[in-house]
Amino acid sequence: MSDRVNTDAMPADGLAAMVRRGLDGTLRFVVPIGIAFAVGAVLLLAIGENPLETYSLMLSEAFSSQRRFAATLSAATPLLFTAVATAICFRTGVFNVGVDGAFILGGLAAATFGVMLPMSIGWWIIPLSIMAAMLVAAFWLWIPGVLLARLDVDEVVSTLMLNFVALGIAGFLVNGVLLSETSGNNTTETIHSTAELSRLVPPSTLHSGFLLGLACVFAYALWSSVTPAGFEARLVGLNKRFARAVGISIPSTIIVVMVISGLVAGLGGASHALGQVHKFSDGFSAGYGFTGMAVALLARNSALGIVFGAILFGALASAGTTIQLFSDIPLDIVNVIEGTVMIFAVVELGKLTLWRKGKRP
Amino acid sequence: MSPEHPRTDRSVSTRIGARDISKNYGLVQANHGVSFNVTPGQIHAVVGENGAGKSTLMRILQGLERPDSGTVILNDEPVQLRDPQQAIRLGIGMVHQEFMLAPELTLLENLVLGDEPMRTIAGPIAIVDWKKALTEARALEKRAGVAIDWNRPTATAPVHIQQYVEILRLLRRGNDVLILDEPTAVLAPQQVSKLIALLKQLRDQGASIIFISHKLHEVVALADHVTIMRRGKAVASASVDELDIAAMTRHIMGDAPADPSEQARAAVVLPDARRVLRVEGLCAVTVDRSQALNNISMDVFEGEIIGIAGVAGNGQEELMECLAGLRSMSSGSISLNGAELAGKENMDFRLAGIGYVSPDRAHEGLARLASIADNVMAGSQHAPAFLKGPFRNLPAVGRAARQRLANLDVRYGALSDPVSSLSGGNQQKLVFARETASKPQVLIVSQPTRGVDLNGIAAIHAILRQHCEGGGCVVLASEELDELIALCDRILVLSEGRMVGAVRNEDATPETIGKLMLASGDGLEMAHV
Repeated sequence: MSDRVNTDAMPADGLAAMVRRGLDGTLRFVVPIGIAFAVGAVLLLAIGENPLETYSLMLSEAFSSQRRFAATLSAATPLLFTAVATAICFRTGVFNVGVDGAFILGGLAAATFGVMLPMSIGWWIIPLSIMAAMLVAAFWLWIPGVLLARLDVDEVVSTLMLNFVALGIAGFLVNGVLLSETSGNNTTETIHSTAELSRLVPPSTLHSGFLLGLACVFAYALWSSVTPAGFEARLVGLNKRFARAVGISIPSTIIVVMVISGLVAGLGGASHALGQVHKFSDGFSAGYGFTGMAVALLARNSALGIVFGAILFGALASAGTTIQLFSDIPLDIVNVIEGTVMIFAVVELGKLTLWRKGKRP
Repeated sequence: MSPEHPRTDRSVSTRIGARDISKNYGLVQANHGVSFNVTPGQIHAVVGENGAGKSTLMRILQGLERPDSGTVILNDEPVQLRDPQQAIRLGIGMVHQEFMLAPELTLLENLVLGDEPMRTIAGPIAIVDWKKALTEARALEKRAGVAIDWNRPTATAPVHIQQYVEILRLLRRGNDVLILDEPTAVLAPQQVSKLIALLKQLRDQGASIIFISHKLHEVVALADHVTIMRRGKAVASASVDELDIAAMTRHIMGDAPADPSEQARAAVVLPDARRVLRVEGLCAVTVDRSQALNNISMDVFEGEIIGIAGVAGNGQEELMECLAGLRSMSSGSISLNGAELAGKENMDFRLAGIGYVSPDRAHEGLARLASIADNVMAGSQHAPAFLKGPFRNLPAVGRAARQRLANLDVRYGALSDPVSSLSGGNQQKLVFARETASKPQVLIVSQPTRGVDLNGIAAIHAILRQHCEGGGCVVLASEELDELIALCDRILVLSEGRMVGAVRNEDATPETIGKLMLASGDGLEMAHV
């Protein structure tokens, strides 16, 4: 046997390996965030604000009372869905950036059903609206899935462009056939009150969609760790040629993950429409698809990381909004932090692989 | 050629060498007090198993790595090589296994690339002087005693011609120390003897040649001196006249017993053996520059190992991929026990009983970033034994993984370790452990011992034999003719995508097969056996 095996294969008793992996994951989560906050601090200094003061104010705005914490979780709710929808694809090596479009169309479908279905069917209105949202969004992402799997159309281009198409379709409809007769421009009627998801901690807007989101993350964790389909998707993501050689169908795996991603994104849109805004209007998604992508990248597709990441970005959004109201600090600082996290969540990955290669004899 | 290029100085006793070099990578001691000398005008073979430290030593000699202790010697003086550029300036050139030629350029353009002869046309404006380049090329060609069509696009040139160009490019830059990393791996036997003649001629002109090889008979045919490495140490260094192949093998293997089963396999096919796999009129078109396949037919019987030989790139890989269901065929038929497989998916081939060992272990045989367990269990995720309701039964999967690895004696640390932590031989055994686990009737095996050390090779040969003794059969493509001759009942030879001949085990020699390998596929009737 070669020397390498004897030494390399020796350590790795289960616990030490687990601790090492956990530490590794934590570092990869914390380092990009740290860098992003440092970049934000430089900007804050440049506009003459004290970054420490600002950050501690944000921290207290996000977590210091039950009401504030509920607002943070409420802001995190759509991100749970969009992050899971993104992570499902990233894990399979499909760079789907079209979750935002699917989220929007899902929200539109749910709001439309919430308005149009007869009140007389009672609570059935909620599952029916949700199902409509999921089907529409799943169909939406099925399109780039098929284009990629069968015709090798680059999914980054197709999903990115479909976001604009989705936005256009939604804008056209809410200014046309779905336009509210009572409340002005660019919006549907408000949904029936029976279609509303219940509020968990009134008066905060935190609604039962948050629990649906957690359930989604849990289902994703199960799918990715203990189902044959999740295993196959991971192998496809790690090495397509290998996956094919062991008998996994690459096209059907791609199409299936895109459809699942659409189902989750649609569920997210429904949760947001039925739980948070109770209608669909232009500007329905405040870039939730893209923030969800940042969360998925930061979490490296781990379920636990997605929960933490969503809460982090939820806190930023919720605290950022309040701070903008009471000081000169623009909400854009949150976008800067989010963008920086995305960059460094990816950069770090590249650096780590390089480092490992360098170590090889 | 610029004046700073070194001229061969035959008065020194060591043109290039190492004194007491040690190099560690973490816990791994890759080189441990290695010393060796190459005199001017010497062909010096460096042999040893994978992981014995040959590559590390070569990387140090090229300035790609710095030793932890000890020094490189050049012209009897210790030097510290900072980077590969410095090594090249000092005359040290390397011919890699993967040629560093740009396929779109002509051979002449590749020869001068990066150091083009220039002609001034007006003031500071200079252009490449192609006339001068061609003159230089012709001179080098003559010096080396080879014939090269310099205006040929590199991608269309035969592989041995590309290799000549690699060597001549180094000579043109004044490199008189040539390091060749397994140069014969890609060549047919006749081409090997031409390369040997070329290298001997360069040696007689004063070049120092370091020749890394696994093939001891080539070492005997070519080298003047041999250094044997084992476990990071130079365990023997002697003139080739003083060490025979048996002695070299002992040094390479150390205390490990030399493989006793390496004698030629007698043809064991019974006269009434059942036909398992039948291929008729298989054709496939070119995809991404691959070699098209033309009308290939063959039968494989129970208990048989069929070899597929050919110069690299003549359709062996394409044929193997068709047989594994990974490449679609344009016409023809593949049937297993009478059931037609043409047009079906790779998964159907696997379910019907065909296993596949890819020639590209790093990118197709294994998922390098996945764990050992995932690699050995991939493909079995839907087997009822590994499911509990809709979920994977992870304890059962772990038990089965351990069992599969133990069956083929794969040495590993923990199931969750990345598969890249294994040595080449153990990685390949892991691939076999996965592919044989479902007891397939036919194993499609491509280049199974590429990059595998001697112990690993013996183990893999034993696995193949065992598979046949259990009633299975094997289609084996290999660039190692010795391997085919040792293992196969029949050897089929491909050239330019056609089957140009078949040789029975008792008639198989490197010469008979080599002759067929170099035959053109056109107008040749297949010799019937």
